[in-house]
Amino acid sequence: MANRIINMLLILLLLLVSSISTIRRSVPENFARAGHTNNWAVLVDTSRFWFNYRHVANVLSIYRSVKRLGIPDSQIILMVADDMACNPRNPRPATVFNNANQHINVYGDDVEVDYRGYEVTVENFVRLLTGRSPPGTPRSKQLLTDEGSNVLVYLTGHGGDGFLKFQDSEEVTSQELADAVEQMWQKRRYHEIFFMIDTCQAASLYEKFYSPNILSVASSLVGEDSLSHHVDPAIGVYIIDRYTYYALDFLERVEPDSTKTMGEFLAVCPKRVCISTVGVRKDLFSRDPHKVLITDFFGSLRPVELTVSGLNVTAIPRTQNRTRRSQKEREVPDRKLQYAKQFPTFIFES
Amino acid sequence: MMVVLHTIFSGLLCLQCISSVICTPQKDYFDEELLLKPLPSGHVYAYFQFTTLWDVDFEATSFQHCHLFPRALGEIVGRYNVQELHISLTEGLWRHETWGYPVHDAAPGAELWAWFKESTKNIDKTWKELAGALSGLLCVSFNFVDASNSLNPEFTFRPAGIVSSGAVNSSYLRYSTLPREIVCTENLTPWKKLLPCDAKKGLSTLLNAGHIHNTNYHSLGLHLRPVCRDTTCSQMSVELRQTVSLVYDMVILGTGNQDWSIKKLFGIGLSGACPLATMSNIYIDIALNETGAHFQLTPTPPAVITSTRGGHKSKFAVYDIKALDIDGMFNIAAVYSSSRVYGVNIPPVLFANRYIIGYGQERGGIVTKLHNGHWQALDVVYLENIPWFIPLYLHTLKIVANGKEIKPLLKRFIPGKARARPYYLEVALRLPARSITEISLEFDYVFLKWQEYPPDANHGFYIGAAVITSLLPVGRNYTGLPQDGSTITSSFNASRDGYLVQLRTETLIITMPTPDFSMPYNVICLTCTVIALAFGPLHNITTKRLRLKNKEQNYVIRWFKSKLTRSSEMKEKQS
Repeated sequence: MANRIINMLLILLLLLVSSISTIRRSVPENFARAGHTNNWAVLVDTSRFWFNYRHVANVLSIYRSVKRLGIPDSQIILMVADDMACNPRNPRPATVFNNANQHINVYGDDVEVDYRGYEVTVENFVRLLTGRSPPGTPRSKQLLTDEGSNVLVYLTGHGGDGFLKFQDSEEVTSQELADAVEQMWQKRRYHEIFFMIDTCQAASLYEKFYSPNILSVASSLVGEDSLSHHVDPAIGVYIIDRYTYYALDFLERVEPDSTKTMGEFLAVCPKRVCISTVGVRKDLFSRDPHKVLITDFFGSLRPVELTVSGLNVTAIPRTQNRTRRSQKEREVPDRKLQYAKQFPTFIFES
Repeated sequence: MMVVLHTIFSGLLCLQCISSVICTPQKDYFDEELLLKPLPSGHVYAYFQFTTLWDVDFEATSFQHCHLFPRALGEIVGRYNVQELHISLTEGLWRHETWGYPVHDAAPGAELWAWFKESTKNIDKTWKELAGALSGLLCVSFNFVDASNSLNPEFTFRPAGIVSSGAVNSSYLRYSTLPREIVCTENLTPWKKLLPCDAKKGLSTLLNAGHIHNTNYHSLGLHLRPVCRDTTCSQMSVELRQTVSLVYDMVILGTGNQDWSIKKLFGIGLSGACPLATMSNIYIDIALNETGAHFQLTPTPPAVITSTRGGHKSKFAVYDIKALDIDGMFNIAAVYSSSRVYGVNIPPVLFANRYIIGYGQERGGIVTKLHNGHWQALDVVYLENIPWFIPLYLHTLKIVANGKEIKPLLKRFIPGKARARPYYLEVALRLPARSITEISLEFDYVFLKWQEYPPDANHGFYIGAAVITSLLPVGRNYTGLPQDGSTITSSFNASRDGYLVQLRTETLIITMPTPDFSMPYNVICLTCTVIALAFGPLHNITTKRLRLKNKEQNYVIRWFKSKLTRSSEMKEKQS
């Protein structure tokens, strides 16, 4: 009898082991090689004023995609310099569309903007990246990354050779940006960065980077302008930029379990549709983009820890709690509670 | 193996759930209500109120275990020693004259005020941190709130909830407004997440961004206060009211008629009550049905309540959503007998408006007009909220009622200090019966420092709304809740000695003298040109020696000259 049981157990064990090994075999080649433990996104629109509607549409397109692919709002830092959705000039309140046919409402019904309006400044942006937030900054306004974080940084606005304008009043230079990223690296605030930028002369912004593990893509090379996609006569301004329009078009076809690679994403906007040349910088990135899953940056990794040890969950004895409660109740009647008078009538009585 | 583990684990979890429910009985209740009130002007006022009442002491430790109460808010309230908290986020202006009084009055933009517990040490610091935390919670720029734009008015604001001692010490109060703040879906999303049913079930499913932001007026509110647990009031409960006020213009939204329905207003029908709610009601004010335009409600209301309050009678149709057997989507429609008939508008007893006077970029003035339509004098407290960059002169304060100057009963003034504190002016005055009182003040326009101008300085600078507080003797046009009540039901038949109103006036926008920001650039260009033009000759003059030199003449001229001289010589010889 005992032998039989042992035999049964052995067979079970074998089955279990074999099943595990089969699972192992079916795991995609680059599944476990991600190397990162969590995903963050920093999405920044630096332009104010209604005629820059397209920049807000840009940043919200990426926001929509990363959110759809699984990065939670708590790990997305969204900076939008002006309000387009509820702008009095918007004929369709609480919407921002990616094209004139109102194909996708990129603003959506569930959106959390972390930095908005006047809060979008170079200082706040650099503080966010380097983690030097002033005391009392709420969690939703902090980039709480660690050495296992893959960070997607997306910038859009008006740029020039070596700088990006913030709100038409100040600018961040490519050197400042590179130094901020280096500080992030030294503070072990990232594992890998995917840096995307959609501005004029965008490539100039990533040229100064010198920290490892950064893959960069820019909508235009130095000396080139980034162009907008099309105008919406109903709102009277350009609605989205070309590069982001095609990026969103690509991302809309990506699902959380997709096997599409970053290599495919980097080729998302060829020159015939973008008109500007998309710039890519790979020398700081140790992996081959064609072997990196797109979900390494746009999706989210949920840390799962398997444990075999049990957890002892015992109920608190009821009696103890009751005594505590009754004690509390006994203390109470000493207090004199009353509603405050709502109007200072005493001023008028004299 | 896994299955067994899983069942054990889930079993444990269940056990934990059950035990926690048994051990710490969470005595809390959640009520959701919607009040729909057709206004005589053809607008429809929709007021949502989600009330969470929790029988617990208002202590920091109480908020560590929340059930229906939003924990995210509880943590903030406990951490910063808050006694009472009021937040409103508003777009648009409430028109008191045509719309009557709202349940909660709110200033355009963002408004925040809080009472701190008496044990709080550094109130200014705590206030700033509280505002910062709330900015993260609700996606509002409350992090711009600090001592330089906060007031602690002595009379206007009193604790709305219970206090342990009779005296009110306003040094524990902070009040601030951000009149420029916009309100959009990004504020509604986190606000909805504080509700026990989120926006998944119940009346909150009616709050869809597209149908909220197309209104004439929309206001989100969050009001937290300690209240009496029972009539003896020996114990306290925590009350959280989350409110949404909307005013729909049916002329714009409707298709040529005044008819409205839940589907038309909110874009969706109601699928049922929130299962966590103890009460889920819709009230429709049908008083206008008798005096103004006649409309028919479908389905017929199951109950009608007549409420008399302060000598004013009103009628409400009540739909109890929990009692209704809803199959699919529930809708209430009001069908008018004629296409467009407006009721007679009887303006409320007290209302106000405010505007800027003066011209040029040197001196200006602010005028606030208070209209008292009552047959008796009314006592009001007027609070002015002027930012530090608008220097105000107290000696120019003039209060004129019906052409006669009147003296205020009390004045409180603390002049502002640049970058440190705003101008604080509080005036108590008695408005004569049937009068229009004008309160006027003069100010100067000043320059700011270069870095202090916002990126869109030419848009203008905002002045926050003034707050006018009064205790009305009559309940006409009054929809506010009594102080001892929590839900809309408590306002039916709630006659009291007085009805507190706090009107917010318009916010104002002024154009400050804005420097030309391209000026430095222009100056640099011009100076460079001038220097370049001046430098060349000066450099030449100072570094090169001037020397007279025989002029080498042109060959041709020389040839002519020599010819001329030769011929003249010849002539001379001939002669």
